[in-house]
Amino acid sequence: MSVIAQLVIVAAGILFPIIWMVSSSFKSSADVTAYPPTFLFRPTLENYTRLLQTTPFFSYARNSLIESGSSTLIGLLLGVPAAYAASITRSSWPALVTLSARMAPGTLFLIPWYIVFRDLGMVGTYGALILTQAAITLPIVIWVLLPAFDAIPRSILEAAGVDGCGTLRSLWRVALPLVSSGLVIATILAFVFSWNYFLFALVLSDENTKPLVVAAFNYIGEGSTDWGGLMAAATLIALPPLVLAIAVQRWLVAGLTLGAVKG
Amino acid sequence: MASVRMQGLKKRFGAIEVIPCLDLEILDHEFVVFVGPSGCGKSTLLRIIAGLEPITEGDLYIGNQRVNDLTPAERDIAMVFQDYALYPHMTVYQNMAFGLQMRHTPAAEIDARVQNAARLLDIGPLLKRRPRALSGGQRQRVAMGRAIVRDPKVFLFDEPLSNLDAQLRGQVRSEIKALSQRLKTTMVFVTHDQVEAMTMADRIVVLRGGVIQQVGAPEEIYGRPANRFVAGFIGSPSMNFLPVTLLKGAAHLLDGRKLNIGATLEGQAVLGIRPEHFVPAPDGSGMPVEVTLVEPLGSDTLVHFLVGDIKCIARVAPDTKPLVGERLPLAVASGKAYLFDPDSGAALPAGILP
Repeated sequence: MSVIAQLVIVAAGILFPIIWMVSSSFKSSADVTAYPPTFLFRPTLENYTRLLQTTPFFSYARNSLIESGSSTLIGLLLGVPAAYAASITRSSWPALVTLSARMAPGTLFLIPWYIVFRDLGMVGTYGALILTQAAITLPIVIWVLLPAFDAIPRSILEAAGVDGCGTLRSLWRVALPLVSSGLVIATILAFVFSWNYFLFALVLSDENTKPLVVAAFNYIGEGSTDWGGLMAAATLIALPPLVLAIAVQRWLVAGLTLGAVKG
Repeated sequence: MASVRMQGLKKRFGAIEVIPCLDLEILDHEFVVFVGPSGCGKSTLLRIIAGLEPITEGDLYIGNQRVNDLTPAERDIAMVFQDYALYPHMTVYQNMAFGLQMRHTPAAEIDARVQNAARLLDIGPLLKRRPRALSGGQRQRVAMGRAIVRDPKVFLFDEPLSNLDAQLRGQVRSEIKALSQRLKTTMVFVTHDQVEAMTMADRIVVLRGGVIQQVGAPEEIYGRPANRFVAGFIGSPSMNFLPVTLLKGAAHLLDGRKLNIGATLEGQAVLGIRPEHFVPAPDGSGMPVEVTLVEPLGSDTLVHFLVGDIKCIARVAPDTKPLVGERLPLAVASGKAYLFDPDSGAALPAGILP
């Protein structure tokens, strides 16, 4: 089979749900539930206008941005030095420890986690959501950057030491510029994972701090579900990560060959 | 500019003892070369001086200061790494300026020093390039430039020529030597190449298994090797070693033949003869050997032969054109026979006789 044919099949498999989501968001409520599904329909913007008119969509978007942005920032601030330290001391256990929080299903932690934040009086605050999502961003940052740091020849870091850099300065001035593509990837992955993280946000947020993914959930009602509205919301939610990924595509591709190129 | 002094220095990696106990003083302005086979501890020793490896036991002084607990940054040393270790994301200029910036040198002075070093190393046109766009030889110069601009107390070189091709290596070797005479800074150079050691050093330190075998000027190391290891390591091709019995001034080989070397000792010994110290015997007096291989090098010719089952090499003048299978009578140049203790390998005091 030709490479192109293989690519088309894989791409179709990956893209089909996305195409379905986007196309459904432009369908009228009659078209969206039609069976068998219609592929030819009259596109309409009514789902989007209803979404933006009946819900405070932009304030949810702002919540999402605050929570994902801050947790990504915390993940970077803690994860970059942690990954660097793990790399220069050749110890992998810190990376394993951060991952352990993700090994059990989140539902196991959900109740104790909720109780802790309730006792701290933090349920419904940005702080609770940001800290929770940082537990997701931190391992991502560490796991993406650890191999990137490992790929830097030790002699370059030693040269920085001889040149007068302490550990933090050799990280900032020498190591970090050399893993810039890894840094971009880590940032994007952390942001996207945090942006789409649903379960804890559902429990810990209130009306004022609710992020987009939780808000979109409201379209699934007990009696009836507004599929068109849900798909429009989902499409808008998927948009920022998509734009972000396209914007930094150059680094993403470079990042795949990380470590293969030595200076 | 300063001396480097090691007292009772020990280094262990876990249970492995790399340097059992070492004392050495490197003088101010001296060019010292650590030489030895791989795994002899020479690079570890250099990295200890640099502060890149902690000291297990003992003291290290740079100048009058005990530096055991100082970081590399605090020791005021500069190092040229084997793989050059240039910063890939910086230009040549930035690479050289970086160490000075970290030490808060004024920008005008940084510029003056970088330009000066670039002139010295002939890399002026490369200053705006990144390491990726340089050849191996150019990277090597930049690595040296980065060390030079710092004007450190001690220069450390970790096999800096091993990644260059043979021709370039010879050229850079003489450049480093010229540079050392110009800069008058203490320099410590690590290599496994005895030619580099011989040509560049004021003093050579021969190491084996973390133990100093001999310290001395190149001609001393070559002319009066302290033991069989040093004798075999320095010189190319290596010294020939033959077990002998000494009797009445002659060395009797195992196969019954004898060589007159005028030794005063008697008993068992190992006779060491450098290839270049074999001479064709004028009359029938020498030891006839059967030639097994001839390698003409142009300037001279290497003649391979067997003594018993020991392979030996003699370096003879190019006009001696022996043929394979021919019997060539060889003698040992006067006073050039070395004798070693067959057990300890130590040079026997009467090993070199007039």
